[in-house]
Amino acid sequence: MLIPVIWLNALVYASELTLLSIGFTLTYLTAKIPNFAHGTYAGVGIYVSFTFSRILKISPYLGFPLAFILGGIISVIIYILVINVLTKMGGGVIVLTIATLAIQIFLSAMINIYAYWARAAFIEYSTSFLLKADDFEWLGFPGIFPVAIGISVMAVIVLHFLLTRTKIGVAMRATSEDSELASVLGININQIQLFSWFLTGGLACLAGAMIPMWFMSSPTTGAAIITSIMAGSLLGGFESIYGAIIGGFAVGLSEVLLTYAGTSLIGTWVGEYRPLVPMIFLVAVLLVEPRGLQGAYERIIAPRRTKQPSEKAVPEEEKKE
Amino acid sequence: MMANIALGILNSLPTAIEGTNRLIVDIAMFFGLLVIVAMALNFQYGNAGIPNMGCAVQVIIGAFTVSALTTRLCFIILEGAGVKLLPWASDYDWVYDMTFNVATTNGFLKNNAMLGISLFLFSMAVALVLGAIIGYLISLPAVRLRATYLMIVLITMADASQIFGRNIPSISGGTLGMFIPSLFKWYPGDSGVICAVITLLLGLISFFIFRTMLNSPYGRLMRSIRENEVTVGSVGKNVVGIRRNVLMFASGVTAIAGVMNAVYTSFVIEAAYQRAYWTYWPWLMLILGGPGNNAGTFLGCALIVALRRLIIVYKFTIQSLFFFPISYLEDIILGALLCVIMIFRPNGLIPEKLLYIPGVNYSNIVQEDVKIDWRSAPKARAGKGGGLLGGKKKEESKEEK
Repeated sequence: MLIPVIWLNALVYASELTLLSIGFTLTYLTAKIPNFAHGTYAGVGIYVSFTFSRILKISPYLGFPLAFILGGIISVIIYILVINVLTKMGGGVIVLTIATLAIQIFLSAMINIYAYWARAAFIEYSTSFLLKADDFEWLGFPGIFPVAIGISVMAVIVLHFLLTRTKIGVAMRATSEDSELASVLGININQIQLFSWFLTGGLACLAGAMIPMWFMSSPTTGAAIITSIMAGSLLGGFESIYGAIIGGFAVGLSEVLLTYAGTSLIGTWVGEYRPLVPMIFLVAVLLVEPRGLQGAYERIIAPRRTKQPSEKAVPEEEKKE
Repeated sequence: MMANIALGILNSLPTAIEGTNRLIVDIAMFFGLLVIVAMALNFQYGNAGIPNMGCAVQVIIGAFTVSALTTRLCFIILEGAGVKLLPWASDYDWVYDMTFNVATTNGFLKNNAMLGISLFLFSMAVALVLGAIIGYLISLPAVRLRATYLMIVLITMADASQIFGRNIPSISGGTLGMFIPSLFKWYPGDSGVICAVITLLLGLISFFIFRTMLNSPYGRLMRSIRENEVTVGSVGKNVVGIRRNVLMFASGVTAIAGVMNAVYTSFVIEAAYQRAYWTYWPWLMLILGGPGNNAGTFLGCALIVALRRLIIVYKFTIQSLFFFPISYLEDIILGALLCVIMIFRPNGLIPEKLLYIPGVNYSNIVQEDVKIDWRSAPKARAGKGGGLLGGKKKEESKEEK
C-alpha cells in the first residue's frame, strides 16, 4: 500500500467531518442556532448502511442516496414540527438550542431502539459493527478512500456553485444575512429554510453512511462526534462555508494524527484522551480568535487584498496598525 | 403505612427500611438531590439568564471531592490514630486495596461519630469552594462568549471531566469505581435515612437562601440583568461581576449535591455522572415547572422524580408492553416532553410571578395583569449578538465596520 493506514484513517475521517461541519455551519447561518442533533443525523446514516449491508445483504454504497434523502426528510420534519413552531412563538436562541438537545436525545433513543430491534429480529450484531468486509478494492486502496474524498470534494464544488451561481443559493445567502430584508425582496423565507434544512440533514446522513465503512460504529457514534463537528465549524468561524471546509478537514486530520503521534511518542495511554483534541481546539479558538479562521482572514488578509493601489505605497508603520 | 414511615424515620430500625419504605427513602433522597441542582439552575437561568449546561461538571466535582480528598484525609487520620491499613499510596494499591481499607475505616467510624461528622462537613466545605472555583473558571471565558458558545463549551466540559475520571485511577478508581468510607456509619439505624433527611434539609435551606436572595435588592438586580443588561449597565451596575457571583454561588451549591450523592451510595464511579442525568433532567424539571419560580422547580422536580421511580418500580409490567428496553423509553419521554412543554406551555406549570418587595403593594402600582415572558429576554440579547456575560463584545463592533 502506498499510503500508511494512519493517513488513510485521517483522510477518510477528515473528509467525513468536512461534510458534517459544512452542514452544521449551514444550519447556523440560516437558523442562527447550533444544532446539537446534527451528529445524530450521522447516526441515522450509520444505520442506513447497516441495514443495506447486514439485513438486505447488498452493497452499502447503494444506500448512500437513500441516506441523503432520509436525512433530509428527518431534518425537514424536525424543522416543521419543532424549530419553526418555536421560532414563530418567539423563542430565543437558548430555547431553540435546548429544543435541538431534546431532539438529539429523542433521535438517539430511536436509533438505539432500531439497533435493538434489528438485533432481535435478524440476529445480527447491531450495537457495534464494522462494514469493512463489504468494501470493494480500487488500485490497492479500500473503496471508501476514493469515495469519501470524492464525495466531500464533489459536495464542496456543488455547494460553491449552488451558493454563487444559482438563484436559490443566492436567496439562501440573502436569508442568512438578513431574513427580514430578504423577505421584503420577495424571497420565500420558509422555502429557503426548508431547502437548507434538507441539505444539511442530507449531507450529515450521507457522511454518517460512510462512517461504518472504515470505523467501528455503535448507536452512540453519531452523538459522540458532535464535539468534533462543533470544533471544526468553530475553527472555520461559524459564519462561512469555506471556513467550515478548512476547519472540519483540519480538526479531522489533527484528531487522528495528533492522537497517533501522542501514542507513539508518549505512550499508549494518550489514546484514551482522543476526545480531548476537539475540545482543546474549541477552547483555544474561543480564547484566541472567537470568530475562527473567518475572523482571522478578515482581520489579517482581507484588508491587504482590498487595499487601493495608492495605499500600496504606504510606509511600514501604518501596516503594523 | 404513614405511622410506619414516621416510626422508620424516627428510629430507622433496619426492619422498617425495606420494600415500600426503602422506595420512599430513595425517592426522598433523589428528590432532595435533584431539587438542589434544579434550584441552582433556576437561580442561574431562570433569574439571571445564564444558560448553564454544565451542571454535570459541578456535580462531578462534588463527587470527586469525596473520593479523592476526603477518603485520603480519612486514611491519613486513621493511620495517625494507629489503625493498620493496607498500602494505598500508589494507583494500583489505591484501586485494589480500597475495599479492604474502606471496611476497616467503616469499623473505625462506627465508634467515632465526631470524625464522621467533621469529615462530612469538610467534604461539604471543600466541594463548596471547588464548585465556586469551577464557576469562576466558567465565568472567565463567558465574559467574552455568546450564550450558545458557552453552552457548547460547558457540554463538552462535562464529557472532559468524565474522561479524566475514567483515566486517572487516583481520582475515583478509574473504570472500576471505588467504595468510599460511609460517613454516617455512627448512626445507629439505617444510614440511608439520615442521608435523605440531611439532603432534604439542605434542599430546604438552599430554597430559603435562594428565596431570600431573590427577594432582596440583589435578586431584583439579577432579574433586571436578565431582562435588559444594557440598561442595567448604563445605570452603573457591574453586570459582569454580578453574573460571575451568581455562577460561583450556584456552582458551589450544585457541588454539594454531588457530595450527598456520593455519600448516599457510598460508591463513586464516573459513569454515574453522565450529562444526560445531571444536566438534561434538571433542565427538564426547570422548564416543566416554570423558569424563574422556585415553587415551579419544586413541582417539576417532584413530578419527574416520581415518574422515573414509577417506571423503575413497575419496570416488568411496562416492559411487557414494549419490545425495546425501557431505558430508551425514558430518553424518549425526556426528549418529547421537553419539546412539548416548550411548545404548548412555554411558561411552565406555574408561571413566573412578580417579585415580593416588603412594604410595596403591587396591586396599587400595577393596575393591569403583568405577564412576564422569560423567553423574550434571551432572544433580545441574542438578537443583538450581545455576549452572555458582558454586554457588548469587541467582535460585534468589528463586524459592523
